[in-house]
Amino acid sequence: MLSPIQVLCSDITTLSLEPEPFASYTEADIISTVEFNHTGELLATGDKGGRVVIFQREPESKTEPFSQGEYNVYSTFQSHEPEFDYLKSLEIEEKINKIRWLPQQNAAHFLLSTNDKTIKLWKVSERDKRPEGYNLKDEEGRIKDISTVTSLQVPVLKPMDLMVEVTPRRVFANAHTYHINSISVNSDYETYMSADDLRINLWNLDITDRSFNIVDIKPANMEDLTEVITAAEFHPHHCNLFVYSSSKGTLRLCDMREAALCDKHSKLFEEPEDPSARSFFSEIISSVSDVKFSHSGRYLLTRDYLTAKVWDLNMESKPLETYQVHDYLRSKLCSLYENDCIFDKFECAWNGADSVIMTGAYNNFFRMFDRNTKRDVTLEASRESSKPRAVLKPRRVCAAGGKRRKDDISVDSLDFTKKILHTAWHPTENIIAIAATNNLYIFQDKLNSEMH
Amino acid sequence: MCVSGPSHGDVSLVLMYVGVKPDVLLCCCRSMLGRGVKRKWSCHDPSMSRLQQRQLVLSLCVEKLQHYQAGVELSLRRSVLLINTLRQIQEEMRSDGTGTCTPEVLLHGVDPDSYLLTDDMSVTCSGCAEGDMESLSLSPPASPEPASQDAEQQKPLPTAVSNTLSDAGSAGGYLSDLALDDIFEDIDTSMYESSDLLSAWAAGSLWPVTSSLWWDEDMKLRPAGHSSAGSLQSCLMDLNELDHIMEVLVKS
Repeated sequence: MLSPIQVLCSDITTLSLEPEPFASYTEADIISTVEFNHTGELLATGDKGGRVVIFQREPESKTEPFSQGEYNVYSTFQSHEPEFDYLKSLEIEEKINKIRWLPQQNAAHFLLSTNDKTIKLWKVSERDKRPEGYNLKDEEGRIKDISTVTSLQVPVLKPMDLMVEVTPRRVFANAHTYHINSISVNSDYETYMSADDLRINLWNLDITDRSFNIVDIKPANMEDLTEVITAAEFHPHHCNLFVYSSSKGTLRLCDMREAALCDKHSKLFEEPEDPSARSFFSEIISSVSDVKFSHSGRYLLTRDYLTAKVWDLNMESKPLETYQVHDYLRSKLCSLYENDCIFDKFECAWNGADSVIMTGAYNNFFRMFDRNTKRDVTLEASRESSKPRAVLKPRRVCAAGGKRRKDDISVDSLDFTKKILHTAWHPTENIIAIAATNNLYIFQDKLNSEMH
Repeated sequence: MCVSGPSHGDVSLVLMYVGVKPDVLLCCCRSMLGRGVKRKWSCHDPSMSRLQQRQLVLSLCVEKLQHYQAGVELSLRRSVLLINTLRQIQEEMRSDGTGTCTPEVLLHGVDPDSYLLTDDMSVTCSGCAEGDMESLSLSPPASPEPASQDAEQQKPLPTAVSNTLSDAGSAGGYLSDLALDDIFEDIDTSMYESSDLLSAWAAGSLWPVTSSLWWDEDMKLRPAGHSSAGSLQSCLMDLNELDHIMEVLVKS
């Protein structure tokens, strides 16, 4: 159906899969965020239990050709613990909302992880050697009586089993009253921002005791509150620019050179509402659930409940492209509202060349749209369909009343508890990571892997 | 006593207002909430008329705002979207004149399910002329809260810097410039006197804008229907249900 050029259907093989299938899982195992680092060598996931699992891509092996490129668990650590807010008598969940890697500057890797309230900076470093041959200390590390030391030995570094150490370096706390939905590292490599429902703060990575409030949409009177911030991100190249999206379907581009408090946006991206499509759910489904700058910095990708949109930074009046993710749900909105699915926050991702976009859907389906050829594909992340090295078959949902072909799945049999909210695309290669409840699937372009 | 940290400050400004006329809300509160609700329609019913769907969406809105997991902070995004949907439906009801219940229905405690379960929308929300609303005087025109005490908080942060020291003694945070009294001035304790409830409503604020640092306990301790208002008893019951919604909103 599709020629093998893009990471579309037939080109994708299952690269690796969680090795042991779990018959059951707990709430804490549900993956809540996925993020590649800047080289794609590492992939981090966060879950509802506050844990972060880092996967590392195995280097090419001549003896085992098929092990090339596989991602294996590199390190696992507990990033956040459940807490209790005594003032509000509320639990603060340990769930990891977002992970962002810092650009690598030395042998160690750094990442930021956040739950609803607190952001933490972690250092991930390797140790594969240990010093041996000290004679100033005994075996238990106690300093020997100097009089018994008759010679001086120079300790030597001996190889040992690789140990990955993860250490907390900074804790950025107490700056958010509402739930943090986004963090974004600035291209100056020195600052980052954290956005909650009503405010965005700017931090220096080295300073934990203060942040600068750069956006505040909290009305003086909370009666007047009609809009919340849903996501925010820095421009990939211009450290003064950032964008944030709102629950009313708008995007605001702000320039920090204009004012310290960016109350006034530089640009407002908004699509005029189609009055013929108006329903009780219009506002809910237009709420932007994710916004991502293209790697080039020229475009913005947004996701709302039913569509993914590409915006040109130079055109505020309407999106450049609109992709229907699952338009067959338009007639099901009332049920999706009744079961609360309509509030699900789907994320979206660009490929490295900004030519293909990807986003999740229900029934463990995810969608890819080729911007040039306008082709699209629906794929499924499931154990049954994703045997290692197997090629994924495209799936098709048949709208109610539509003609049903073999292997089509009808809208009514979609499983709305299986949703793919979090996806990530390798920064340069056609490798994608898909979080499906408690499972992480990593797929890669078959063509790509054969070239090696 | 120290007041510090942005979290603390914001609790005194929590969302208490839904922006839906109380009478509309009462209508659906009475019919849909907390009493072994049996909904007549379901989303799966293709034969549902637009009005029926509207009623369903409205009641689900209120239900969703009321039901929450105790002790867990709600998503503000979800609450705001639900409230905006409520507002939109209210606006629509107001413009087509089906938006309110009669005072009789409201004040004389008709069995909530009995009229809910009738098919005829005109029974559910009949006789809703604008005049009836006026005479009910539960919803005078929205008057903004006196802003005097809010003035302090409306001031933009002088330097747009939020000091986020966690040390309570340093009183860091958004409200670090505020005296303790200013925060407590914002707390309208009249809300907690049941007998004042109606007067508060009649006095003009759509939903009495109140805030409390310890709202939770206060809300729960207040006995239901504790009032001498006699025939207004049922109305007060509804107000208690509204309190539940407020609780939900406070948690946002």
